[in-house]
Amino acid sequence: MAERCPASPFPPLRIAHLYSSLLNVAGDGGNVIAVERRLGWRGIPVEIVPVELGQTPDLATFDMVFIQGGQDVEMAVAARDLQCKAPSLREAADQGVVIFAVCAGLQLLGHRYIPSVGVAMEGIGVLDLETRGGPQRFMQHAACEVRFGDQTETVVGFENHSGLTELGPAARPFGRVVAGAGNNGADRTEGAVRDNVYATYFHGPVLPKNPWLTDQLIRIALERKVGGRIDLPPIDDALEHRAHGVALTKALRNRGRRTALEPARLVRGEPKTA
Amino acid sequence: MIPRSAPAGSPGAGSLLPEALTARIERRLPPGRSPALTPRLFAALVVGKAAGAVTRRLGRGGGTSLPGMLARRIDPDILDNVVRAAGMPVVVITGSNGKTTTGRFAAALLRAEGIAVGNNAAGANLVQGVTSLAVRYADLRGRLPEGVLVAEVDEGALRQVVPELAPRAVLVLDLFRDQLDRFGELHAVADAIESVARSLPSEAAWIVNADDPLVASLAPERAGRRVTFGFELDRSTDRITRAADTIRCPRCRSELVYSHVYLSHMGAYGCPGCGLTRPPIDVAVTALNSAGIGETRLTVRLPSTELELRVPQSGVHIAYDVAAALAVLVGLGIDPVHAPAAFAAVGPAFGRLELVQAGDRRIILGFVKNPTSYNTTLRALASEGEPRQLLIAASNTSVDGEDFAWLWDVDFESAAPRVERVTVSGTRADELANRLKYAGVDPSVITIVAERRAALEAALAGVEPGGRLTILAGYTPTIELREEMRHHGWVGRLWEA
Repeated sequence: MAERCPASPFPPLRIAHLYSSLLNVAGDGGNVIAVERRLGWRGIPVEIVPVELGQTPDLATFDMVFIQGGQDVEMAVAARDLQCKAPSLREAADQGVVIFAVCAGLQLLGHRYIPSVGVAMEGIGVLDLETRGGPQRFMQHAACEVRFGDQTETVVGFENHSGLTELGPAARPFGRVVAGAGNNGADRTEGAVRDNVYATYFHGPVLPKNPWLTDQLIRIALERKVGGRIDLPPIDDALEHRAHGVALTKALRNRGRRTALEPARLVRGEPKTA
Repeated sequence: MIPRSAPAGSPGAGSLLPEALTARIERRLPPGRSPALTPRLFAALVVGKAAGAVTRRLGRGGGTSLPGMLARRIDPDILDNVVRAAGMPVVVITGSNGKTTTGRFAAALLRAEGIAVGNNAAGANLVQGVTSLAVRYADLRGRLPEGVLVAEVDEGALRQVVPELAPRAVLVLDLFRDQLDRFGELHAVADAIESVARSLPSEAAWIVNADDPLVASLAPERAGRRVTFGFELDRSTDRITRAADTIRCPRCRSELVYSHVYLSHMGAYGCPGCGLTRPPIDVAVTALNSAGIGETRLTVRLPSTELELRVPQSGVHIAYDVAAALAVLVGLGIDPVHAPAAFAAVGPAFGRLELVQAGDRRIILGFVKNPTSYNTTLRALASEGEPRQLLIAASNTSVDGEDFAWLWDVDFESAAPRVERVTVSGTRADELANRLKYAGVDPSVITIVAERRAALEAALAGVEPGGRLTILAGYTPTIELREEMRHHGWVGRLWEA
């Protein structure tokens, strides 16, 4: 049920941050900080509600929902709990709530995650995709082209995953890979989208250094809330653009390489990837 | 070549030890044997020592990694031959945070008891750095002097280094999310440490932080000597924040319940799911008083005694390092009789809130490398009303890592209101500057000066005479900035620190 909104052009935005302490592995909390600050700088009130294990609020009453990256063990815990939140999350997705998912979040919104060893984790099928554990970890700066309406921009981030994700027909890619591995290192798709559900493998965190993307998500959430077109007041994004530029340069330098780094030295005897 | 310092508090005692003490050390720590001197080993020692001497003379980084690297290229077995095969007593220190400081504490404690110590004090803790340590202290026949090697070893290098050292004691300080891009995931690091624990003979001491749930639960089935350290304070000194890594039970994944939180995820915990509890603590901090930058007072209970200590360093993490170093001596079976005098003389390791007089201004140099070290440093600074004038730097190098996402887990928000002016430097100045903006620092007071010399000049120029500049920097920028300060004559060489 969407909340009744006040007539103000900028009503308060309610954000649910799923598993804020459990799935917080790669600084992805910065995504929530980015949205919070960019709303605050524009004088738009915002309420951020952490939604942890065992809690099942009506997620369709929120304007934005974040579910982000985590390590394998934490992800398994979240996967079990997410089944309890699934009906609410599916309804939120169907009603056009902006849902932003990163890495483990992307995998759990899909049908399932089948690791190389161990048992499969059931996802909740909000996104038509499936992920299998792959033989190597993609760890590198990455970039992709993302389209919102008639605008296309380059989005930069840092990949750190070994899952290989294949999209089904009901999901379209979030972006087209410019540099990096994207969903599977093969078909140049990156992330997945349906309705206002946006999922990506990009850490970084991705939103602070891609202010255009952040503002698109904010705009969509606000427009849905007020039921009309919104032009967000511009912000001086000089520092953001600088961070974006450096990350893009790094991603392009790595283009064509499988990983930007030495393989983790912990795993001895594994073939070196150049 | 190992500096043999007099037992603290006995001026003029030279290297002559009380006989009873000598006998005790020899019983516990028999001296090493000579390795079989092959032409290859000899060549490796000559080249390694020459490289060390040349780089030290040229002022190129103190010769901390290069000698070991060259020596291993000539004789890959050099460390194994000089250290393990010779039966040299070794203490290995690993973990995410506090290795260097704890190593310095342990070395000071051992020296105060009249035991010669070699340690890689400059923090070169990969296999090359540890090999350099052996090359430096061995003579040209590969013989190490009687004493103990205290080797800090990077978590990622453990599996390679430990078999070549056959340590008498392994200390695991803590496990934080440090350079995740390099290690993959925290649990992989835990697995590596666990396999090292299993490979240790039962007479070797396994020394762990009882307050870190993941560390305390490593290798539960290992039979053999175990020493635990931790806090027994009846108040919390921290709260669970974004940076906390292990707040779930390592055994059953239930959420842990803390009666007290001491530092990030370290504290007095229990698991409501499976009943896991914090193990009994052998070396416990029972009272703690941090008096801003420059001094920590604490009481530590050992199995045999209780110590009142004053340490000229600050922060809750220092108390963990103190307890860990004392646990090393307990693990080796040595009474730290001269501990109060030993601790009183150990100033901060390079860049650990080091105070530097820079002409008529002062610099507080803080080396920071992950959310926890940042947060503990920021908390210590906050007690002094700092940082106000700030130089902050991050660089992506093979040492510092490539992915700086963790900057978003640092609690810059609490420091932001105090920051009056900030110069941002290093090759990842962009990421840091953006992070500070989103933490609430006004972009108009943020200046990016990528080059280090210009950055230091610009930052100091903004400080009033008599005022203070706080520097927070990662490993490589700290070394670079310290090098700049050395050119000005404000600090000594790194390996003299």
